Amino acid sequence: MTTHTVPFDGAFTDAWMRRFARSAQAAEPELTALDQQTGDGDFGANLTAGTRAVLLRLDALDTGAAGLPAAAPLDAAATAFLDEVGGTSGPLFGLLLQALARAAAAEAPLLTTPALAEGIAEGLAAIRRVGEAEPGDKTLVDALHPAAGALAAADDATPPDAALRHAAEAAWQGVRDTAGLRARLGRAAYLRERATDVPDPGAVGVALFLTSAGGTVTALTPYLSPAVS
Amino acid sequence: MAAYFGNAAEDLVPDGLAGFARAHASLLTHDTEHGYLLARDTAPGRRVGLLSGGGSGHEPLHAGFVGRGMLDAAVPGRIFASPHNRSLYEASVAAAREDGVLHIVKNYTGDRINFGIAAERLAHRGIPCARVLVDDDLASDSEDIRAGRRGTGGTVLVEKILGAAADSGLGLDELARLGHDLVARCRTLAVASRAHTAPGTDRPAFELDPGQLEFGVGIHGERADRARVHGPSRELVAEMTGALLEALAPAPGDPVIALVNGLGSVTPLELYGVFGELGRQLDDRGTVLSRSLVGDYVTALDMRGFSITLMVADPLVLERYDAPVRTAALNW
Repeated sequence: MTTHTVPFDGAFTDAWMRRFARSAQAAEPELTALDQQTGDGDFGANLTAGTRAVLLRLDALDTGAAGLPAAAPLDAAATAFLDEVGGTSGPLFGLLLQALARAAAAEAPLLTTPALAEGIAEGLAAIRRVGEAEPGDKTLVDALHPAAGALAAADDATPPDAALRHAAEAAWQGVRDTAGLRARLGRAAYLRERATDVPDPGAVGVALFLTSAGGTVTALTPYLSPAVS
Repeated sequence: MAAYFGNAAEDLVPDGLAGFARAHASLLTHDTEHGYLLARDTAPGRRVGLLSGGGSGHEPLHAGFVGRGMLDAAVPGRIFASPHNRSLYEASVAAAREDGVLHIVKNYTGDRINFGIAAERLAHRGIPCARVLVDDDLASDSEDIRAGRRGTGGTVLVEKILGAAADSGLGLDELARLGHDLVARCRTLAVASRAHTAPGTDRPAFELDPGQLEFGVGIHGERADRARVHGPSRELVAEMTGALLEALAPAPGDPVIALVNGLGSVTPLELYGVFGELGRQLDDRGTVLSRSLVGDYVTALDMRGFSITLMVADPLVLERYDAPVRTAALNW
């Protein structure tokens, strides 16, 4: 039995959201380049705008307060993405965060692995209902679906940071697999075969989000083309 | 801005909405922060708020149908662009009643997604919400089109009849079922002899060869799968009527509601001429024309074209169609 020095409270989710903002900003040029090949090129800018709005809302929260529930920063991030981002991918991220916040609130004040599993599963379900996307359609569902699977398979005793690390690994594998898929939804669908070897930027966004729970991503290449060992 | 009267292309929608809200201030209020119009006066027995919305450029749809007997709220987006989920969500919260809110959504991908996100947010907040998807456009009825049929002129009839049904106290699920049934009862076909002018470019959205018209055009200038000679209305309306009746297959004696709708730049004189042809066509085929509506209701900016919508009714549908309505665009 190991003991954990990190409490999975509001300070943990606040730091996670702030790292997500830094990861999104660092990855923006690469995300834009990907989206220019598959969509209309605005995904990187929308994600960065969303995380900037998140930072403003986090600053307005008293995130330094002792005993801040884990759900509060997630809820602030959800509202920022839902209310303040244009296009469709940003608000879909908002639905994921909203579901995470709700699941976290149900097990307040600390984030647990079962709450993460339920929140990600609910967020995936909401995104699939709204976007009418199936796994394999080359959308963010292709990263979120394996991540939800990894979390569902995690033992309840797995600490949340370890569970999120496994979910992020599953999401990146999903991202790499989208590079072989042909889009059937969204603007990428009009490109037919031309965009098949490029991973889906929305799926990359999901993987960035999950990875940011444990650290900041500064470049996508190591994740998109991992060195063969 | 040479083609349109306005201050600048990007001001067409905000300026038009502000003027509309002022002109009809007795009927509705305009929430400028969240961008929606809310009816001032709706029936006390209504248990479900009715809300619709979509891109601008189709006026009087939907704002013109806010008021007693029809919509509780309308949410306009930018020209031909879906409103943001936040506007839809805030308007839904404002319009919801004890049994929630019904979204009447024309079938376009952007609208489906944004209304869908708003619905998820409403569920999160504990406000019941259901959707009626309007997909009445016959020209986009093809197995090759994964997005399905578009929503067009039939929306007006669906909103009117649902309004009367909501006033009679129907619940959310009953209204949603009625809405699906009403959509199944109506089909629309649109033709155009000239595309709308794209604001800011002053150019037509597409070019037609002289003497041709687009048969099955969409209300955003989506091209039809064929052009046709622009001949006498007698033949054109006969072809449109035949296609609509074939799709709807009314039983002998079924009453039919007909909407002849201008797409923006067709004169009332022409529209009534088209309606006259439609009436003769229905008479010749033994179809009972019971109610008629002629005018500009679902436009496509300044497109020179019109649509015909037929809805197969029954006595209850007719009673609800006839129920009093007091909005900017429909009033009886």
